[in-house]
Amino acid sequence: MNSVGEGCTDLKREYDLCFNRWFAEKFLKGDRSGDPCTELFKKYQTCVQKAIKEKDIPIEGLEFMGPSKDKADS
Amino acid sequence: MKIWSTEHIFSYPWETVIKAAMRKYPNPMNPSVVGVDVLDRNLDTNGRLHSHRLLSTEWGLPGVVRAILGTNRTMTYVKEHSIVDPDEKKMELSSTNITLTNLISVDERLVYRPHPENPEVTVLTQEAIITVKGVSLSSYLEGLMALTMSANARKGWDAIEWIIQNSERENVPLCDLC
Repeated sequence: MNSVGEGCTDLKREYDLCFNRWFAEKFLKGDRSGDPCTELFKKYQTCVQKAIKEKDIPIEGLEFMGPSKDKADS
Repeated sequence: MKIWSTEHIFSYPWETVIKAAMRKYPNPMNPSVVGVDVLDRNLDTNGRLHSHRLLSTEWGLPGVVRAILGTNRTMTYVKEHSIVDPDEKKMELSSTNITLTNLISVDERLVYRPHPENPEVTVLTQEAIITVKGVSLSSYLEGLMALTMSANARKGWDAIEWIIQNSERENVPLCDLC
């Protein structure tokens, strides 16, 4: 799957691989330690947030009808 | 405003369905989703996993809706928030479009839970609120969009089944699907 930022796709795939493994093998099996993918996520975010700004995608300030109402976006 | 809802049963346990739902894209049934990005992800104090994602989609607006709304812009961005509760065995997902919002809004909400009487089976309930803004034919257009939702929901179910069959059974490495 691609990223919205063409140059971010490799970073995204690396992160997805790490996350999917943690999600399936740890999180769903009741291991409550956080995911080990923080560094990969940071690198990927730096890239993707830049792409979002460049493309002017309005990701901020949206009201959701769903579960996010009880939690402000961090 | 039009409210649409449906229910679907997967013949797989909750964990299997949730794993597939978390890496649902890409799949052959939803070629319109061309990009998926995670914007934020965290565990809350109750051990629930929150994910905020941005989906880049070539929206399947019905042709007539596109014509009446007068937009040729087909790339639409959707923001999605999901919460996975592994103790309660519940996944909730809500999404809304963040572009074309002056014309239309589609707010969707999905909940995946084990069947109360059969833990080998998973129930998906899903609802959408469709609002077409500022055109006189809006209720007609909302009806058309609801029909499109029904067709899209079926594609979504097929996609989950496809992911399950192509990753669980053949043991495809996870990243071939990311």
